[in-house]
Amino acid sequence: MSADQEKLIAELVEKGLAGDMEPINAIEDRVLRSKAKAALAKAKRAAKVAAASAPAEEKPAEEPPSDNPNQKFGKMIEDKFPGSLDADLNDTHIQLKPDNWFDIATWLKSEPALHFDSLQCQTGMDLGENILEARYNLHSMTHDHMIEIRIAVTRDKPNIPSIEQIWRIGDWFERETYDMFGFHFDGHRDHRRMLLPEDWEGYPLRKDYEVQETYHGIIVPKVKQGWE
Amino acid sequence: MTVDTLFTWLGGLIPAMEGSGTLLVIAILIPCLVLFLVVAVNAIVMVYAERKVAAFMQDRLGPMGQGVGLHAGKWGLLQTVADALKLLTKEDIIPEKADKLLFILAPFMIFVGAFVAVIAVPFGETVIVADFNIGIFYILAIGSMGVIGLILAGWSSNNKWSLYGGMRSAAQIVSYEIPAGLSIIVIIMLTGTLSMQGIIQYQEGGLFNWIIFANPFTFVAFFIFFISVVAETNRTPFDIPEAESELVGGFHTEYSGMRWSFFFLSEYANMLVVSAVASAGFLGGWHSPIPGYFDSNGWGIFWMMSKIVFLIFVMMWFRWTFPRLRVDQLMNICWKVFLPISLINIFGVGFWTLIFG
Amino acid sequence: MGVIHGEEMVLNIGPQHPSTHGVLRLRVKTDGEIISEITPVIGYLHRCFEKHCENVTYDQVIPYTDRCDYLAAMANNFGYVVAVEELMELKVPEKVEYIRVIMAELQRIASHLLALGVYGLDIGAFTPFLFMLRDRERILDIFELTCGARLLYNYMWVGGVSHDLPKGFVETTFQFLDYFEPQIDEYNKLLTHNKIFVERTADIGVLPADVAISYGVSGPNLRASGVKWDLRRNAPYSIYDKFEFDVPVGDGAKGTLGDCWDRYYVRMLEVKESVKILRQALAQIPKEGDVHQALPKKIRPPKGSIYSRTETPRGDLGFYIESDGSPIPSRVKMRSPAFTALSVLGEIAEGWMMSDVISILGSLDIVLGEIDR
Repeated sequence: MSADQEKLIAELVEKGLAGDMEPINAIEDRVLRSKAKAALAKAKRAAKVAAASAPAEEKPAEEPPSDNPNQKFGKMIEDKFPGSLDADLNDTHIQLKPDNWFDIATWLKSEPALHFDSLQCQTGMDLGENILEARYNLHSMTHDHMIEIRIAVTRDKPNIPSIEQIWRIGDWFERETYDMFGFHFDGHRDHRRMLLPEDWEGYPLRKDYEVQETYHGIIVPKVKQGWE
Repeated sequence: MTVDTLFTWLGGLIPAMEGSGTLLVIAILIPCLVLFLVVAVNAIVMVYAERKVAAFMQDRLGPMGQGVGLHAGKWGLLQTVADALKLLTKEDIIPEKADKLLFILAPFMIFVGAFVAVIAVPFGETVIVADFNIGIFYILAIGSMGVIGLILAGWSSNNKWSLYGGMRSAAQIVSYEIPAGLSIIVIIMLTGTLSMQGIIQYQEGGLFNWIIFANPFTFVAFFIFFISVVAETNRTPFDIPEAESELVGGFHTEYSGMRWSFFFLSEYANMLVVSAVASAGFLGGWHSPIPGYFDSNGWGIFWMMSKIVFLIFVMMWFRWTFPRLRVDQLMNICWKVFLPISLINIFGVGFWTLIFG
Repeated sequence: MGVIHGEEMVLNIGPQHPSTHGVLRLRVKTDGEIISEITPVIGYLHRCFEKHCENVTYDQVIPYTDRCDYLAAMANNFGYVVAVEELMELKVPEKVEYIRVIMAELQRIASHLLALGVYGLDIGAFTPFLFMLRDRERILDIFELTCGARLLYNYMWVGGVSHDLPKGFVETTFQFLDYFEPQIDEYNKLLTHNKIFVERTADIGVLPADVAISYGVSGPNLRASGVKWDLRRNAPYSIYDKFEFDVPVGDGAKGTLGDCWDRYYVRMLEVKESVKILRQALAQIPKEGDVHQALPKKIRPPKGSIYSRTETPRGDLGFYIESDGSPIPSRVKMRSPAFTALSVLGEIAEGWMMSDVISILGSLDIVLGEIDR
């Protein structure tokens, strides 16, 4: 692109950012017009990012305490058990390290302001890149608030403390998650498979799961890929 | 006809063999065969009746058919015949580890216990195979023999579930004999005789001479007796031994084909016998309710059969209406409720007779 | 007093058994008739539902959800589409909302009728079972009128429903409701207040409220223990906040609070409440509207995850869906209410007799399709 054209495009972009689309639309040359429009779009995106990040730098000083339960309780967890958060607070979930999960869970259940007496759902995720994540959806019957806790571990050491003594449904949920993903829940009193037979090989819901060829002489059918 | 009348009649027919032993044997065998037919026909009719009664109570139709030769005959009458044929042609499976001799013996013992009791049942004024002077006592005694068969069935199947069923049923039947027996004592106290025909003859004279209406204690005794015999024949609400939804089949889980059908034949024969005893003992037997009318020998059979059929219908009604009692609740009722009431009945009838004559 | 210890017998109830509501195996250790330990063994009906969901598109998952709890298929569909629509922030037309509520409530009645009838059958009462099934048939006829299927419907789609209500639907359903309401009294006379039934179910298998919450029990089982928690009231989804209905709670009328009779009776009362909701919904449903209006051309939820719950006849059905922006879900986890209900069996059934175990299992109303997925 010639220097003249670049200067022309820069002018048009400036005018476009100000809201004036006339000069761009008046250009006869189709190629030049499209280049100008592309440059304008790019400039607009950059402006948006700058606008988004700029206020964020000032946020910590003025931000009111968030009403979102994940943020609120995540902060309380961090205050009570420093160093247990594995990522920044956000609106959707609380990321924890597996180390003192049992103590945190006990506190979550017993603390009167929180009183998470119900483990609604416990599931596992295979995030690829050797990371497995266990996710807990906790709910309080008394206060009616809900949070999600995620604990990420590696495939080589998929150990997470078991919380089945705190929420008794954790017993079956953790057995199923172990069955499907291969986590190891330390301290679980009855750590065995739930849905698959005891001598099944592999953990089916992992993304790289290969079905075994035969099971006690019966041929195992393969899951079809791609139904579309 | 009793054996005696048949003996003399046959003697008259074949003067050469009159009074001989062979003739006696023949005179005994013929009524027995007739009785066997009666029991078999009774079973067939009752299976059909049970299915139809059940169906109509449950708002459905039961076995149906459009005409002879097509599926189950008109109104499904041939259904039982079809069932019997199917059961006869089924493969006879005996579990490998089962105790073979006892396994084969058990259904026969139960059936014998039920069938042999029928010979003392009076169907009419002279229609009774053997009029023992200890008739009612004989029936109760022979009826208890069925328990042995049940226990054998449960044990020999080599199956934990059958064992459970066998044990439960043994406990149940033996327990419920007692209120039944005590209620019979009430009858015996009033009539002074154990003979079936004698008991029925005591009740002649119409509806209000029947023992059930003799005094309030016999009224209660009838119901105690009836419920106890429902428990003895393993009918719902007392069918814990064969509770389908808990023990699959209870004591008859491992039986298939004709052996299995023996259990049910004997259950229906038992129902017949106990209904007959209840009708004879409490409801006036072959007497008609209106004295003097419809009183002949033939009518006697009609009245007896209709009372028996009515009581069997009530038993079926119970089965399709009530849920099942748990074993300990069942035993509770027997020992803590029925037994005291039966004892009170005996005293009550005694005092009543003493005071009111 | 000396205690006689007999030999402990280890028995298997199931997997093939007339009253285990599916292929369930219960390993029981019995001492005579008393159960000392009971362990449910599941997995006989595992059909890899969650793995399938990772290979098909969002709308192709819906027939799979039908087959999880096959006795309340509409409720499963409802739970799933509510979750996906919340993830996509998709709003459906009002007529669709009404249709969905009507179908869900009809399904609730049908499912409860089956649960109650089968419970009576387990206890030994054959006739109420057939009466309740007869009435359930009429509901299935209504479903067949609408979408052509009696048991597994594939009816609720993401953004709408598969078929609009046919002509005469409202009249037919009103006729059914008018016929059905007096039948509930008949069932109560026949079974609910029958002395033998009460003796078999009252004071048996008591489930205390705190144990129930810890085990994640929900739905009628939890409400029978005295906890007034109904997602249609406490966390309303769809248009449930527009209807007036009570939430029946157990009160230990015939025995202890939280016994089998309470669980049975709460379901009976819920049927009455569903009839109320149906009457209101049928009266308020908009006559005009296109049910396929909001169906998205391609279901591509934004990246993220969601956990959404709905109230099925068996309890709180939760769907945890994770999307990575593609038309195929990255993970669908179905948190089934019967799974949690069965987990509590080991705790409340110990110390009772064999017949009581059948009674307790029946009162929990489980469906193995939902437990094993």
